[in-house]
Amino acid sequence: MTETRPMSRSSMSRSARTDLAISLMLIAAAIALPFLVDSRYILGQIVLALFYATIASQWNLLFGFSGIFSLAQMAIFAFGGYATAMLCFYFGWNVWAALVPGALGSVLFSLVVGLACLRLTGVYVALLTLAIAQTMYLLIVTDTECFVMVGSVCRQFTGGAVGFARFGDLGTRALLRAQWLVGNYAIIAVLFALTMVFTYAIVKSPIGLAFRALKDNPGYAVARGVNRFQAQLLVFGISAFFTGLAGGFYAAHFQAIGPGVLSMSQLMFIIAIVVVGGVGTFWGPLVGTVVLVLADELMRESGEFRTLGLGLIIALSVVLMPKGLVGRFGDLIDWLGRRRASPDSPDSKPAASSIVQSPTPAGK
Amino acid sequence: MTDVLMAILVAGFTSGALYALATVGLSLVWGSMGMLNMAHAAMLTLGGYVAFTVITSLGLPVAIGFAGAIVAGALAGAILYFAIVRNLLQNDKSTFEANVMIATVGIGIALENAILLTYGGQPLKQPVSIAGALRLGPLTLPWQNLLIIAVVVVMMVVVSAALGRTRMGRAIRATAQNRDAAQLMGVAVNRVYLQVLMLSGALAGICGVMVSSMTQLSPPLGNDPMLKAFIMCVVAGLGNLPGAIAAALGLALLESFVQYALGARWGFPSLLFVVIAVLIWRPSGLFGHAEIRRM
Repeated sequence: MTETRPMSRSSMSRSARTDLAISLMLIAAAIALPFLVDSRYILGQIVLALFYATIASQWNLLFGFSGIFSLAQMAIFAFGGYATAMLCFYFGWNVWAALVPGALGSVLFSLVVGLACLRLTGVYVALLTLAIAQTMYLLIVTDTECFVMVGSVCRQFTGGAVGFARFGDLGTRALLRAQWLVGNYAIIAVLFALTMVFTYAIVKSPIGLAFRALKDNPGYAVARGVNRFQAQLLVFGISAFFTGLAGGFYAAHFQAIGPGVLSMSQLMFIIAIVVVGGVGTFWGPLVGTVVLVLADELMRESGEFRTLGLGLIIALSVVLMPKGLVGRFGDLIDWLGRRRASPDSPDSKPAASSIVQSPTPAGK
Repeated sequence: MTDVLMAILVAGFTSGALYALATVGLSLVWGSMGMLNMAHAAMLTLGGYVAFTVITSLGLPVAIGFAGAIVAGALAGAILYFAIVRNLLQNDKSTFEANVMIATVGIGIALENAILLTYGGQPLKQPVSIAGALRLGPLTLPWQNLLIIAVVVVMMVVVSAALGRTRMGRAIRATAQNRDAAQLMGVAVNRVYLQVLMLSGALAGICGVMVSSMTQLSPPLGNDPMLKAFIMCVVAGLGNLPGAIAAALGLALLESFVQYALGARWGFPSLLFVVIAVLIWRPSGLFGHAEIRRM
């Protein structure tokens, strides 16, 4: 396990330098992208992928770094989206004004979920959060009571099975006209970048260490003075802010939000992203998003086998690479490093080297 | 008034029996292996569709349809063991719980989608149904509901006999109590896991036939009973079989009363409120024991 490897000062700074180099390359690529991509469809899919990556990174914060298997992630995302849409729809707010209140609303919602889960562990958390998300979905879909009349059409308070549409947008259409999609891309890319910076800061801070300690050994962490209740509520609240904010931006970008975001397949896609990328790794959600969105596009050719393929990818990647692509990549780097180091190491005599170089995967 | 009350009670007991069957299958796997099988819903659906195929397309008698559902469920359990569980057990023990959940989620999606691709999305009628009702004075009991309750009772007796009286059952209970100790006493733990998954799959197969005979066959058929079975497992405490049956009956009756009193859409939310209340009061369920771990 890479976590248990003794971390010397030099290796820490090396990993920080690697992260910095990766981020700089990604920023350059993100700026270059709109100039390279002509197709509206591809740019639209990239914006969607950025939403997925944002949600996945926050679920990774919750599950990967803190070990809380919450299945309410899409519910929190939907809460942010609905809150933003409803503020605009019922009160005529500007979308930009409604985004932060929407995100704060989903933080509150997430804290309530966190409170309900406070005394639970492991699968009990998963089951309860799944039930909460499912209840939210059912209550929205089965809502048929008239709340307001729009023209001659009856509108339900929660939008019912249809959801909300035409409540405003991010203002890029008026500003950039034909290039509005590039404007939205820039906004969402900045949102994703902020989310990643924030997540990095959390993961590397003492709070992040407390989360990890609670995940690895709750009893020991509590004995060392980590407040479990406080930390668990904190991680529920923190991860909800950007998730809810992403929900608001999602509603604003598509100018619509409906109960579809709460469907099981959306949640599974997020989980698949994190699992394929690497649970508990900083870059995992991004890698997973790239791989799965690409796979999804390829499988779109074969149409109906898309969901089937997605399910098999999830199951296979758990079995074949428990630490995801990022973990496998780390194993590869370690293996190459050891191979390079072994000729200089003292026990590289022919007899012993066959043992040293036996292809045991690193981290076992 | 008594008519309404009877209707609510009959509906409650029937769905309670169905939930109990689904819950026992889940709880058995959790209790002996610490594994939450998210593919249980798809296995339920599989059972329903296999029975449909055997009876309608092949024209065989209903009893063979039942047997087909049982065999298909058990086979699905065996495949799940060989493809997923066996490999995940070799990894770190601490990651098993979460990993197996994610992997079975994937299998569940794939299986549900495979059924959708094979049979199409339109609802089909499950041929296992009896028309008519038993009239006892003022009471009217549909044969269909009585059949379901009878099948579930028989299954419960079979399962409890299998667990209580047979060598296999002793091995399963020993593994559930303490896996390491059981292994040291010569229990082939891996074989026990295979048996448990097959048993739970067979139960899921029957449950699927019964659920679809009440409603209709459709690919997401198993999702609703499984979600409710999860809730009942949590209320009872995961892994507690008698508790699971009691919780299933109690919550199903509550659900039918709420659905009658407040409308159908509040049935599921009322279960959720119960589960949250129970978990705040007793975090490991009504009948569960708080786990004491040594560091």
